[in-house]
Amino acid sequence: MASKVEKVVEFKIHRFSPEEGKHYVSTHSVPIRKGMTLLDALLHIKDNFDETLAFRSSCRMGICGSCGIVVNGKPVLACYTQILHLDSDTLVIEPLPKMTVIKDLVVDIQPFLDTYSRIKPILIKSKDSLKEPEVFTQSTADLKKYWDLSLCTKCSICYSACPATIDEKFLGPSTYATNYRFIIDSRDEGQEERLKDMADNLWLCTSCNSCTLFCPKEIDPSTSIVDERSLMVETGGVPRTVRDILTSVVRYHNPLGMHPSKRMDWAKDVEVKNYPAVEKADILCFMGCAPAFDPRSQAIAKSMISLFNRLGVNFATLGIEEWCCGDHILRLGEKGLFDMLAEHNVSMFAKFNSQRILTLSPHCYNTFKHDPPYSDKKLNVQHYTQFLADAIKAGKLKPTKTINKKITYHDPCFLGKRNEIYDPPRQILKAINGIELVEMKRTRENSFCCGGGAGRTWTEDAVPEKRPCVNRVKEALELNVSVIATACPFCVTTLEDAVKVLDVEEKIEIKDVLELLDEAI
Amino acid sequence: METLSHDIIIIGAGIAGLRAAIAAAQFNKIDVAVVSKVYPVRSHSVCAQGGTGAVLRDGDSFDLHAWDTVKGSDFLADQDVVELFVRRAPQEIVALDHWGCPWSRTEDGKINQRRFGGHSFPRACFAADMTGFHEMHVLDGKAKTFDNVKFYDEWFVVSLLVKDKTVAGLTAIDIKTGEMCALRAKAVVMATGGHERIYGFTTFSHTATGDGMTIAYRVGAQLKDMEFIQFHPTGLVPPGVLITEGARGEGGYLLNSKGERFMKRYAPERMELAPRDIIARAEMTEILEGRGLEGPYGHYIALDIRHLGEEKINERLPLIRDVAIKLGGIDPVKEPIPIRPAAHYSMGGIHANIKTETPISGLYAVGECSCMSLHGANRLGTNSTSDCLVFGAIGGEEAAKHAMSKSLIELPNDQVLSSEKRVFDEILGSEGDERVATIRDEMRAIMNDKVWIFRTGDGLMSALKGVKELRERFGKITVDDKSRQFNTGLIGALQLDFTLDLAEVTITSALARTESRGAHSRRDYTKRDDENWLKHTLAYCTKEGPRLEYAPVTIAKWPPTARTY
Repeated sequence: MASKVEKVVEFKIHRFSPEEGKHYVSTHSVPIRKGMTLLDALLHIKDNFDETLAFRSSCRMGICGSCGIVVNGKPVLACYTQILHLDSDTLVIEPLPKMTVIKDLVVDIQPFLDTYSRIKPILIKSKDSLKEPEVFTQSTADLKKYWDLSLCTKCSICYSACPATIDEKFLGPSTYATNYRFIIDSRDEGQEERLKDMADNLWLCTSCNSCTLFCPKEIDPSTSIVDERSLMVETGGVPRTVRDILTSVVRYHNPLGMHPSKRMDWAKDVEVKNYPAVEKADILCFMGCAPAFDPRSQAIAKSMISLFNRLGVNFATLGIEEWCCGDHILRLGEKGLFDMLAEHNVSMFAKFNSQRILTLSPHCYNTFKHDPPYSDKKLNVQHYTQFLADAIKAGKLKPTKTINKKITYHDPCFLGKRNEIYDPPRQILKAINGIELVEMKRTRENSFCCGGGAGRTWTEDAVPEKRPCVNRVKEALELNVSVIATACPFCVTTLEDAVKVLDVEEKIEIKDVLELLDEAI
Repeated sequence: METLSHDIIIIGAGIAGLRAAIAAAQFNKIDVAVVSKVYPVRSHSVCAQGGTGAVLRDGDSFDLHAWDTVKGSDFLADQDVVELFVRRAPQEIVALDHWGCPWSRTEDGKINQRRFGGHSFPRACFAADMTGFHEMHVLDGKAKTFDNVKFYDEWFVVSLLVKDKTVAGLTAIDIKTGEMCALRAKAVVMATGGHERIYGFTTFSHTATGDGMTIAYRVGAQLKDMEFIQFHPTGLVPPGVLITEGARGEGGYLLNSKGERFMKRYAPERMELAPRDIIARAEMTEILEGRGLEGPYGHYIALDIRHLGEEKINERLPLIRDVAIKLGGIDPVKEPIPIRPAAHYSMGGIHANIKTETPISGLYAVGECSCMSLHGANRLGTNSTSDCLVFGAIGGEEAAKHAMSKSLIELPNDQVLSSEKRVFDEILGSEGDERVATIRDEMRAIMNDKVWIFRTGDGLMSALKGVKELRERFGKITVDDKSRQFNTGLIGALQLDFTLDLAEVTITSALARTESRGAHSRRDYTKRDDENWLKHTLAYCTKEGPRLEYAPVTIAKWPPTARTY
């Protein structure tokens, strides 16, 4: 009664024998029929080829959360993944990262489950209200508020993919989501108690979105963490480091504590037109706060200006009328402040006559694309990598100089995971003669966050081994590359920090794609 | 070997086990342990979908719920047990609400209830179609608020230790290290679930292998009414996973190859909401008479919910839509779901009385592994999760009371040693040429072919012979993985060892019962025979195989009548 074999897929399974302390790879050819899941294939391998293969599984319908594994770099539930949908003849199967491997694909999830003992995953009610043997009422609308968050199976995929969980102070995406699920349950009376325990750790989330991207139940822990922060902001539970940023943005419209009149100081010796001197240009360049005030990022901004002038682009900036886009602020939970910033910028976009907006930072790009009120305006916005890759493709820009370097590219989360812009930066790098572009193991949608998002670039106080950037630079060092290229000023800053911390400045440098391209022209 | 001690040990951490742990832990001086071979939230209870039955509103009554249950059971349920059950079920719904269960609601914010098969009132409380899942996560959260409950997660129980018909403790393997431990306890609550993994086509999780039934059986507890296996009418083709009866409760149709709602010929009043045994037989009859639909995985029946509309499907049946898309490649909003009856529930189990006590002092049995008997010859949908909650709580309370009045008894060391010998020498050390997966699959094929919905004496006899041969062959297996740590090959062998006994008891009990009642349907004895068979089967473990005895059914309000829908 079985259907026909569609194809034979080679499984390369990363194994670990605890007795021998040995890691090895076993390879098996599995005949695949329509409807077969990864779990079916693992069971087939265990029953027919190698009974010693260890993995967990139970319900085989995506509800018990047992069978999280990594396939070709992506964490999934084995039972909920159709093999034919993966569209690959070779599947590399690995255990979930982060947690200690017990044997083969079985990892120790106890540290993950222990994070739930730091929240209270049942209703908090006063003694009196529990005395009544009556059911509570709850409107369907109130139920809907937390329903999606209640679907977590505790599969640990988000925890394993999360950059912030390197620091065990951070509970993990699903644990915060569960905490928030109870906060917004209309029956619960424990908001204060639930927020209190989060005050010194919730801020470690970088909003990289891996949890949301990989959740097999399509839960959005990333947004729930932001919502939880908003409550924290409302109730005054914000740590000093975060408060400093917010205060600076209120006062100076940038998070770096610099006077707004100095916003264009970096451009004194470059050729750039600014509002209000000009009110019209083909392209409005939204420079972002880091390139405006941070010396390292200013170098990137200058490369951009140099390239645009070479291209003969008719462009301008908003000058000192550019305010912080608010991306970091929104993700730190200060929605009111974000609205103020966004309203100003939106009003400036209305005053300035241009066909499109180009951003240097993926963060500005992301918030213009997705967050109202910006997104309501349906702005024609591009990230510079898209614009320059198009220019190279159209033959308008030709890198002529050779850069003989082995380079890897780090995907900024707000460009990659959140906006699926993976190819343009790579196309630019490949257009430069001499560059040997190699990929890190964690790449594209499976990329690993630098740790700078959601304001953490300014609030970082973790010890080096608990910083995502250190973890990431170590991964690049394994490839023996001399440059990590990226396309985000915050990634550049955080990764450079890691290079200094690791004391490998002689071996590896961090460059924005803009700088490499500018060098090659 | 390390020895650990607790007042009470609960084996299994599904709905019944966790509910028992919470009930026991409320006696705050009691030291409770929960031993489970999977992390609690991985238990098969998370697969329960459609609802939990309880009388909550005007128009319904305890008598009506009890009558529906008794009639559904084909009059084999013990009516005192049913009476206690229906009266205690509502307070369990309230408790879950207080702990945070996201019950689906009515317009005015009350707990909503939907229709279910065999119930004459909409009394299934539900959390969309993930009722068991939500109950489990709430119970898991609640159980972990107690300091006096210790969890042994991923510990595999191998045997009960019993001295003078009194529980002394158990032996278990810590799966992570592979080491065996003895655990002493004054009371043990068995809550290990059903054994439908003896079948190939089943709604059951891979890990739900009925271990506790065999473990109790081997130390002298009887297995009751094991011939009564429920076949759920809607197992998704091909994997067999559950498509909730709630799909029909919300108004879904069952259609044959002619597009007919064929239930009109089998249960003209209740149609698709007749009890499960009746619908499963109707589906099989349609298929056997050539009116099944044809697909790459054999004949099937269509479950059509398209007319409910996308909005209602997303609100009430989101999981089964997702499951049908991910595992069946079918979007129920656009196409009917291919289904077939699948082995789903064991009405039988460890013989226990209304207080969940087994004949072994200090041993309690709750949830699907037990049989007290609430469900008789056929369980109604939604009564299993209620059963787990009600009798889980009772079992926990009773075990706690027992433990408070007793002290630990000495461990029978010979039994500890023989348990160790059995696992490590006889099973892990066995060097034959038989394979666990082969024997397991052959057992499941036999059960699928000969102990399915329609049974015959000849078929059952040949099945019994087949299973006995498999038991012989089991003595010649080899487990390839000889290591200790996380040896899933060894666990698979131990589970097969347990399920082979359960297959044998199921077949033996079915062969003896020469009538058709509820889910047990004999082609050679097609009528219910109250004169000879209004009684419970009790299987005793002997060296020669199961020995059967019988016990009377408790009839209180409702003497047996004809059962039509």
